[in-house]
Amino acid sequence: MIHILVVEDDENLNKTACSFLRSSGFDAVGCLSTEEAYDAMYNNLFELIISDIMMPGIDGFEFAESVRKVNKTVPILFMSARDDLPSKQKGFQLGIDDYMVKPIDFEELLLRVRALLRRANVEMERKLTIGNLTMDADAMTAIIAGEEVPITTREFNIMYKLLSYPNKTFSRAQLMDEFWGIDTDASLRAVDVYVTKLRDKFSGCDGFKIVTVRGLGYKAVI
Amino acid sequence: MNQKDKIRQSHLPVRYFGITFLVMLLVAGVHAGLILLLTMLELWSGVTAAIIIIYWIMMAALFVLITNKQMVKYYETPMKELAKATNAVAKGDFSVYMPPIHTADKLDYLDVMIMDFNKMVEELGSIETLKTDFFSNVSHEIKTPLAVISNYAQLLLRQDNLTEEEKDYVKNILSASKKLTELITNILKINKLEKQNINPEIVRFDVNEQICNCIFQFEEKLTQKEIELTAELDERLFIEADASLLELVWNNLLSNAVKFTDQGGTIDIKEEISEDTVTIMISDSGCGMSEETMQHVFDKFYQGDTSHAMEGNGLGMALVFRILQMFGGEISVKSELSCGTTFSIVLPKYYDYIKRKKS
Repeated sequence: MIHILVVEDDENLNKTACSFLRSSGFDAVGCLSTEEAYDAMYNNLFELIISDIMMPGIDGFEFAESVRKVNKTVPILFMSARDDLPSKQKGFQLGIDDYMVKPIDFEELLLRVRALLRRANVEMERKLTIGNLTMDADAMTAIIAGEEVPITTREFNIMYKLLSYPNKTFSRAQLMDEFWGIDTDASLRAVDVYVTKLRDKFSGCDGFKIVTVRGLGYKAVI
Repeated sequence: MNQKDKIRQSHLPVRYFGITFLVMLLVAGVHAGLILLLTMLELWSGVTAAIIIIYWIMMAALFVLITNKQMVKYYETPMKELAKATNAVAKGDFSVYMPPIHTADKLDYLDVMIMDFNKMVEELGSIETLKTDFFSNVSHEIKTPLAVISNYAQLLLRQDNLTEEEKDYVKNILSASKKLTELITNILKINKLEKQNINPEIVRFDVNEQICNCIFQFEEKLTQKEIELTAELDERLFIEADASLLELVWNNLLSNAVKFTDQGGTIDIKEEISEDTVTIMISDSGCGMSEETMQHVFDKFYQGDTSHAMEGNGLGMALVFRILQMFGGEISVKSELSCGTTFSIVLPKYYDYIKRKKS
């Protein structure tokens, strides 16, 4: 059972969010202030924290900062009425993982919560298993149906990223920015070359497919 | 009232009459003196005539120069100032103030006009403030209960003891509240943009990547409607602009393209790059627009095709237009009913191009 902490001073929103999360299979604990949240966290472990920013007393930013001091990995999602870039920047700089603007669409919240949990899991274990493929980020190995496949660092990184965010489309520019050096002058076509190589190397996998999206990007479809 | 009493009656101002009389006497006197002098010198009548004529030409020229200078000083300059001020107000700057030309006890009609002008600008400014305050306060008050409606509706949908009909009712509540939220958000956005003191956050970014990411967000709809989307966005294209505002532009244009293109249609995105600008053309094979619709497409709350009215709120294109205006960009549309529509957006590559263009 996954435990989620909801810190929000709007009673209505707090109650409905917790109900929604519970009906989706999570155990949700709602706190109306950061003080209450500190108490709740003292005795319980939470796999994910959802927090408002504007609250009386200690605000969401301070709360996130203090949580990060003791726990660098627990996913934190901010829910806020503030839609401005500076607020978002401040949040992400403090180490939060996602930011949603109120009014909150609960279905969207659910999608993001699930994605955050999945990522946290993958990051914690540093291993990924889909179908007959197992990838180990520490050992930099990819094993298909028990046999290890030779793979370069860059190939591994691209594949690992695509599979960590299944069904999310990455543009060529995004992949290039992340896995090629900053000063590269390579054309974006270089990404296409790598994807062809990856499709070839991972052709034996049965759990997923690498799909070209509109000729503009790639995603791993499970 | 008091001011009007103090206004100078400018038909026969005594001071000017006196000065003009004296000047004329002087000019005539000099003329008479010249004639005497020339007669005494017993010059040829031809030369005398020439000298007199030259004298009068000089006097005429002097007269014209002086009156012109007076005109410029008392009418043309203040009028030009007023024209500049009016122009600034028309562009939305309500902090404009023009000082009267004369001191408080020597006001003339022009000054009264200027003071009335200042009053009008102040009034406009306060209405504008009222509007923006209204929006930022009221919108939060409206958004909160809307959020409650949509949240509880979503919770209701999760119950498993609802009949199909009941589920349908709840879905309707949900979609209506979503529409309202979108409307409020759009009104807020467009309102923020219309406040002149919004400073765009200019950054250098890859606009092709941005458009790609926007396209990915429409993936589900595109697949559902079996729309083929081709885009020539293969390489990076860096420009200087406000990324978050430009994202709104692409989202709105793509949303419209998807909305108005039928099952199995196509959407095509092309680019043309020149030295200072980038032109991006988004074409769809959708139902197109009539001449009349094309003329009004960028108006607020205008929805040309009412069959799709439920899916939008008529503010999207107005927002796009306003954003592009801020950047010194342009948008134009070409369309043919039942054939399709092409929106062409011209963007400056560098922010100082806009500044140069404005000056």
